[in-house]
Amino acid sequence: MQTYPFKTGAFPDADIPILPQPETAEETRVESVFAIRIGSQGFLVPADKHCEVLDKIAVNKLPNVHSWISGILNVRGNLVPVFDLHIVLEESLAHHGKRKLFAIGRGHEAMALWIDGFPEIKDRATLSPLHELPALPQTLQDFAVCGYRQDGQLWLDIIFNDLFLALGQHHHATEGMAT
Amino acid sequence: MNTTPPPLPAENATGAAIEEQLGRIQQLADQAASEGLYGLQDVNLLLAEALQENPSAAEAADLLTLLSTWHELINGYRHQPLHGTQALIEFLRHPQLKIPLTEDEFALLQEQLVTEPPCFEAQLPPTDDNTATVAARPEQETESGTDPASVPVSPVAQELVDLLLLESERVRTYLHSIIADDKNSVGTGLQQAQDELERLVNASVTAGFEGLAAICVHVGNNIQHFVEHLDSFNSARLDLLLIWLNRVTQYLSTFNEADAGQKILTGLTDAHPDGWIFPLPDEEVRSILAQMRTTSTTVGAQSEPARAQTASDDDVSLILPDDVNPELLELLLHELPGHTLQFSEAVQRLQFGGDNRDIELAQRVAHTLKGSANTVGVKGIAHLTHQLEDILIACAKARKPPGRALTGALINAADCLEAMSESLSNFSPPPDDARAVLQDILDWANRIDRQGLSALDTDATQSAARTNVTRTPETSKNPAPLESQKPRIRVASEHIENLFRLSGESIIVNSQALSNSRRMRTQVQAMQRQFTLLQQLADELEQLIDLKDLTGRAIDTSDQGFDTLEMDQYNELHTASRRMAEAALDAREISLDINKELTVLSEVLDDQQRLAIETQEEVMQTRLVAIATIAPRLQRSFRQACRLTGKLSELTLLGENILIDADTLNALIDPIMHLLRNAVDHGIESEEQRLLLGKPQIGAIVLEFEREGNNIKVCCTDDGHGLDYAAIRATALKRGELQPDQAISEEQLQQLLLRPNFSTRSVTSQTSGRGVGMDAVHAQIIAQGGSLILNSETGKGLTVTMTIPLPLSLTHALLIDTGGYRLAVANKGIVQIYHAGEAEAITEEGLEQLRLEGVCHASVKLDDLLHIPEQRRSQRPYGAVLLVKTQGQTTAVQVDALIDSQDVVIKSLGRYIGKIPGFIGATILGDGTVTPVLDLPELLRAPTRALDSFHAQPMIQAKLETTLPTVMVVDDSLSQRRALEQLLEDAGFKVLTARDGIEAAELLALNKPDLLLTDLEMPRMNGIELTAHIRTQNNRNSRLPVIMITSRSTQKHRLMAEDAGIDAYFTKPVSDQELLLEMQHLLEQTQDRGNQVA
Repeated sequence: MQTYPFKTGAFPDADIPILPQPETAEETRVESVFAIRIGSQGFLVPADKHCEVLDKIAVNKLPNVHSWISGILNVRGNLVPVFDLHIVLEESLAHHGKRKLFAIGRGHEAMALWIDGFPEIKDRATLSPLHELPALPQTLQDFAVCGYRQDGQLWLDIIFNDLFLALGQHHHATEGMAT
Repeated sequence: MNTTPPPLPAENATGAAIEEQLGRIQQLADQAASEGLYGLQDVNLLLAEALQENPSAAEAADLLTLLSTWHELINGYRHQPLHGTQALIEFLRHPQLKIPLTEDEFALLQEQLVTEPPCFEAQLPPTDDNTATVAARPEQETESGTDPASVPVSPVAQELVDLLLLESERVRTYLHSIIADDKNSVGTGLQQAQDELERLVNASVTAGFEGLAAICVHVGNNIQHFVEHLDSFNSARLDLLLIWLNRVTQYLSTFNEADAGQKILTGLTDAHPDGWIFPLPDEEVRSILAQMRTTSTTVGAQSEPARAQTASDDDVSLILPDDVNPELLELLLHELPGHTLQFSEAVQRLQFGGDNRDIELAQRVAHTLKGSANTVGVKGIAHLTHQLEDILIACAKARKPPGRALTGALINAADCLEAMSESLSNFSPPPDDARAVLQDILDWANRIDRQGLSALDTDATQSAARTNVTRTPETSKNPAPLESQKPRIRVASEHIENLFRLSGESIIVNSQALSNSRRMRTQVQAMQRQFTLLQQLADELEQLIDLKDLTGRAIDTSDQGFDTLEMDQYNELHTASRRMAEAALDAREISLDINKELTVLSEVLDDQQRLAIETQEEVMQTRLVAIATIAPRLQRSFRQACRLTGKLSELTLLGENILIDADTLNALIDPIMHLLRNAVDHGIESEEQRLLLGKPQIGAIVLEFEREGNNIKVCCTDDGHGLDYAAIRATALKRGELQPDQAISEEQLQQLLLRPNFSTRSVTSQTSGRGVGMDAVHAQIIAQGGSLILNSETGKGLTVTMTIPLPLSLTHALLIDTGGYRLAVANKGIVQIYHAGEAEAITEEGLEQLRLEGVCHASVKLDDLLHIPEQRRSQRPYGAVLLVKTQGQTTAVQVDALIDSQDVVIKSLGRYIGKIPGFIGATILGDGTVTPVLDLPELLRAPTRALDSFHAQPMIQAKLETTLPTVMVVDDSLSQRRALEQLLEDAGFKVLTARDGIEAAELLALNKPDLLLTDLEMPRMNGIELTAHIRTQNNRNSRLPVIMITSRSTQKHRLMAEDAGIDAYFTKPVSDQELLLEMQHLLEQTQDRGNQVA
């Protein structure tokens, strides 16, 4: 398993861009955020959360779960669920190249999701806040807090905890077993 | 009445002795008067008068002999009043004393002695040498400058008197309003005066003026007669009433004087034409007088229980009660060291010039400790801190630091408290001198009660105080430590969690090492086979070379000059082949050694695995608690629900000895309590209904706990009327979740109940909130990854089954392959494993079955149970069959292949993945892969298929408390706060807590509780100030019902609290039931007010 903790900015592979370390609020009064893309959707994750890109790590699939639950990761002895928002948002997998596993949080609070490419570091102050959110996919409507626009791309602040809690609930039919 | 004896002749020693005796008798008389024992005072004064009659020398000698028994007689009377009275009267009748009393007067004196029960606890002055008690008397008199027959009026008593004066003035006002010639005026005025007089009677009884109350009743009877016979009332009788009222005023102003009662009784016995219709009979006069004399000494002090004089072993006992609340004990043990240290530091500062702040701090800490110790039931600490608090209050009131002697006693007590604290934490045995220390403190408290602080706390009194301390080194026997008092170490739960996780990781890593060692052994064995083969080949090669060599030599032997039999001839090929054969042999030997080493390594790893498992089990033990520990809370909550609903019901707990993880158990308490309240409130019928339905009068609720694999299953069954499907249907229609003509099964209606905010009731009840509230319970269970199933039978009852997964644990599992997944199947429910070849597939009535050992079993493929897509399924026939028993049936489950069996550590799927039916959790295998752990019986019971068409909605965390009344608890004692919090939460309230008035006021700015419970004494802002603050606010909380719970039991504190605006006042210890009933009453009042406003 190879991981790239964003807090340290250490990226051993030459083809992986070395991202600048987020600056602290005390120093520059900027609020850094990780910007991740899932299909055409852009999301912001506060930089003060522990985030890492997980590479060369196997996703262990689970039977009889929702299709958007890709499986479970073994991250240093902690079981981390992997969610596939491309399926939830019905986003195409094709146009953004190789997908990466992006983990948010540590220990039993950690969760992972597939993202397109590597995350970017942005300064929230440079983004233009939207007074009103545009029409969003139904699944996101209850979890989007606010939105920003930059170069035509919509970036959403999402309560990932709540979204994944909702997506992780097992909704099933009691019609019996498959035959 | 105090009489000064005339000078006695001093010409001889007998005269001096008589004079000395006279002085002592005089002291006895004074003391009796100060205690309100006027009969005893009289006998002493009679004796003193007799001695002053200048007896002759011979008579004086006889008298001295006679008087030698007087003190004993007085003591006898104090301890046995009836017997002692007789002895005193007989003594006074002695002819040498020549006491000039008639028989009637003797009888009256005897009656007076009998009707004045002396205080048994009172200490008599010693016969030989007077100590501080007696010596203080003249000083006190000098200081106060009052008649010794009048008892000093305490501020409390004065307040009560003022109250009664106010009432009597109201009576006077109505009497003054009467116009004698106007019958209407007379009738109205008398009736109003009569009503007011009744209030005066009640107030007198409450304040302890029983005599005055009796007189008022008598006068009231007269007024009642006047009301009924208006003609009999005239201006003379009006004057009579007004004069009597004047006497009441006079009496109240001087009630503490010995003859105060006489004033008010004057004239009440007269029966003349314009006088009382019902004069007061003589016999009543006597009894009322006796009551009034008692009143003069007891008013203002009646609510304070008498302070003990001696300390007993029981008073300093640290033995915990059998029913000690472990949580409260934990809290006490947590806060005790800090508080005892704080107390100790404060009293130490007093030794070196501390001020009133230190006294107040020490007093507050003592108060807190007293409350906490009382709550838990540690008598030793409660008694000691109670006395300490009283002493410190006296010091604080006097605004004077205690003197050296008292400070020394306080420091001793602080040391003793610290020793008690250590003993409770099991760091040391109970302090040996606890009883002696308590006795010392009691002596100080009693002296301060009697003589005041200033009169006592001097160096001169130090010796007196010290001499009273009886050191009893072996007072406290060391009892065998109870379970709750065994040595314990407090560790942050986070450390235990980490330890548990690490032990799990250790097992996983060990499994990986074991797995590697197994693979290595397999490889080494393969290598051994190769070496054996190599050796065989080397041997063959050698033989071939030898053969070839022989053949060659036969062709060409002339060159060497030797025959082959004469000398062996070797070439390089020989050497190489021989070396290869030897190397192959060596390699095989080495591989055998490696195999042996690997066998040893496997054994070591096995041992390590066992140790790691044992370590995990031990760590698990630290987190396990018996369900029985919450049984008292459940029973209490259940009883409260029964009381509040007025229903008869019985709760039976089954499986309460099961040990489960403490966190899981805590998380279960709320939902279980809600279920119990629901069962009582909505399930069980009323007594009458049950009898009509032919059910037993008493409802039955059974709460059963069962360990099921890695889950804890809780079934709550009641024999009530079950779910009201019609009401559920009606609510669903109202909410638009059902169409009028839509057919819906009972099972679907049950599911509706679990939807957020679905309730069949619109009115909130305290017992179980707003309606059934099953949605809230469901949300809580789901949040813990559990499931909730309802099973109702109309008219017969409801069973609610909650299944909650337990955290990480270990199980033995089979590793299987099916549908391309590697899965771990917990061995629970698996009764037999077969190879596929042993099974014969048959189809009976369209159902697939497998015949195993001649028995047919229903058959199912695990691929189907798990809804594995067709494209993933193996095309090969299944390889193994697992025979699984569930719900009394056996089912043959077909899997692709059986790989291994091993102990696996079960991990939760994490907070984001909810409960998946049939999944216990997941495990990390030796190669690091994660595989789900299946519970086949559960999977067979409820096969489900995950849906993909789902619109994610936020999980509605329906909190139970959002529908329940909110109560704010304000107390500076953590344990008191926690005890109340637990009681109220168990009773179905949402509870907010604050440490003092300031914090409560801050919380009130943000919250709107329905009721507030407050302690009286708290730092920064006390309960009275808090209540006054609330009442003066012009906001939604200004009418908030306030209940004060305090250890202060005096009328003065109560009146102050009432003036501030409290609604109810409870003195500790408080009965849970009384408190809850009062709370319910106040909440209903508030609701009624709200309804009226609406």
